[in-house]
Amino acid sequence: MIEVKEITKRFGLKKVLKGVSFTANKGEITCLIGINGVGKTTVLNAIMNLTPIQSGEILIDGEKISKNSYEKITFIPDAITMLPQMTIGESMQFMKDFYKSWNQARAKELLDFFKLKEEEKISSLSKGNTAKVNLLLGLALDVDYLLMDEPFSGIDIFSREQIADVFTSHLVEDRGVIITTHEINDIEHLIDKVVLLDEGIVIKEFNAEEVRETEGRSVVDVMREVYKR
Amino acid sequence: MNVIFNKRDPVYVQVVRHFKEQIATGGFEPGQEIPSRRELASRLKINPNTAQRAYKEMEEEGLIFTEGNNPSKVTRDEQKIQAVRGELISEAIDSFVESIRPIRVPLEEVIGLLKEKYEKER
Amino acid sequence: MMNYVKLVNFELGRFMKIYLVLIGITVVSQIAGVMVSANSYLNIASEEMNVNSLSMDAFLQMYGVFSMNNVTRTLWFFGPIALCAVTLLIYVLFIWYRDWFGKNTFIYRLLMLPTERINIYLAKATAIFFMVLGLIACQLALIPIEGKVMQWMVPLDLRIDLTTLEVIHSFEYLGIMIPTTFSQFLVHYGIGLMAVLVMFTAVLFERCFRMKGIILGVVYAVISFFAFISPLLINEFVFPMFLYPGELFILECVAGFIVIACAIWTGHYLLNRKIRV
Repeated sequence: MIEVKEITKRFGLKKVLKGVSFTANKGEITCLIGINGVGKTTVLNAIMNLTPIQSGEILIDGEKISKNSYEKITFIPDAITMLPQMTIGESMQFMKDFYKSWNQARAKELLDFFKLKEEEKISSLSKGNTAKVNLLLGLALDVDYLLMDEPFSGIDIFSREQIADVFTSHLVEDRGVIITTHEINDIEHLIDKVVLLDEGIVIKEFNAEEVRETEGRSVVDVMREVYKR
Repeated sequence: MNVIFNKRDPVYVQVVRHFKEQIATGGFEPGQEIPSRRELASRLKINPNTAQRAYKEMEEEGLIFTEGNNPSKVTRDEQKIQAVRGELISEAIDSFVESIRPIRVPLEEVIGLLKEKYEKER
Repeated sequence: MMNYVKLVNFELGRFMKIYLVLIGITVVSQIAGVMVSANSYLNIASEEMNVNSLSMDAFLQMYGVFSMNNVTRTLWFFGPIALCAVTLLIYVLFIWYRDWFGKNTFIYRLLMLPTERINIYLAKATAIFFMVLGLIACQLALIPIEGKVMQWMVPLDLRIDLTTLEVIHSFEYLGIMIPTTFSQFLVHYGIGLMAVLVMFTAVLFERCFRMKGIILGVVYAVISFFAFISPLLINEFVFPMFLYPGELFILECVAGFIVIACAIWTGHYLLNRKIRV
């Protein structure tokens, strides 16, 4: 379980996070939604210790993040994390060199799944394919938790469908996933849990099926109500 | 298998309903193997946890059964299948009646129209 | 440890193209320098001796014999050295900033490697250090080759062959880069390494705190500088001539080690606690 407890974060004088708390379970897809602001990405960065927080605590399976955590949790940002002059194959080799949890067989499978070629250069990839390589590099790690920042934004519809397919496949199953998005429509059926973020606080945290079952409302219905205030 | 889900009913309920339709209409034969939960999730593009929930529900209702480690199968219980069929018919009639009643059409006229339409559409 | 080695290797690989170009420029320019200087010397010689019918002795009296000293003072020779030095100096900063800039933010990957983050810092420093040593080694290998080119062009009567050591001694800038005793080597390269590490940590201050970080970085660098020369200052102003040169030297070494340790420790702290992507 990933536990985010009362974290606060300032950029200069601007408070971006004002005490954000939520949990994300293993085996579930948790969706961090925010209509506006920069809070979502900052939360993911904070979980990965890529940005300092002013107060609060983040635990991954009860432990604070350390170098060993990066074999257990990985982050797929919305920009690619490899050098433009590298090929996809070289990027995979780089990952293999540094991560014990790298699963080369799975990486090859993903390569096929996304119809990518090892000899393609990162700098020559389309936006959609860049997103796929990014996803490949994260998903091929045998980690328990995956964080994805806006995996669906700014890419063509077919890439989007392919990426959505990943979520329902064995490539994600049994892992804990946190994804951020501002556009829920495509993935309403895929997610377990929704955390609504606004103005630096969590305004609602709920289970998507539960809301449908007990209130007969869709995730978008709830968002509509919550963000209208 | 292609299901269009609405966004307000629980997804697992919609999956169960889809299975009931298939069972009632013979789309699934009695005793036929059904996809694993992972397979179902990826075919319907739904969360694997939801697929799991749907199967659990159906197992409890006796629509499917699992022997040991084998894949789950559609029930062979003829009574059950008939009951599902009855349930679906009754649900459909209910909703039909509900929407036709406000129009205040005499029953005879409804039956006549229904007959005409039903046979033409077939 | 393995990760550190892999990172050093990776950092070297990333700069290899530019590095090889630098070496290429040095080789071409310096050998061209030998040829051009030898040529112009020989032209003068033939003019003086054939046209003005100067005797060889009189010519040598006037112009001196040709040696590598004639070459090392030309732009052809020290130009590429300066180019390499400036490039590496810039790269001391750029080796960090390149990870943040552009759409492909490699810093995410580096910070998420399952290894102590200080390894990134140390690997970058080691890569710079190796690249400096590599350039020096190339220069050392190049001097005898240039001597051969000179021998091939200038007749024995008009030239003096110098050993590599003599060439180095003849030109003080070379002397700094290529110390001739081991302790000198330690002093020169220790100070160099210290400067690189202080620079790295100053860059990290900027990367952590951005605008505010520039000020912090500068303040930090100034403090480090004064900490390093503090024994000299004390000996000069507080207790004038209190220390023997040997004692002063030891104190300088101690100050240097402290500055290096502080740079690494601060870098470690910033990378673990304050860094942002």
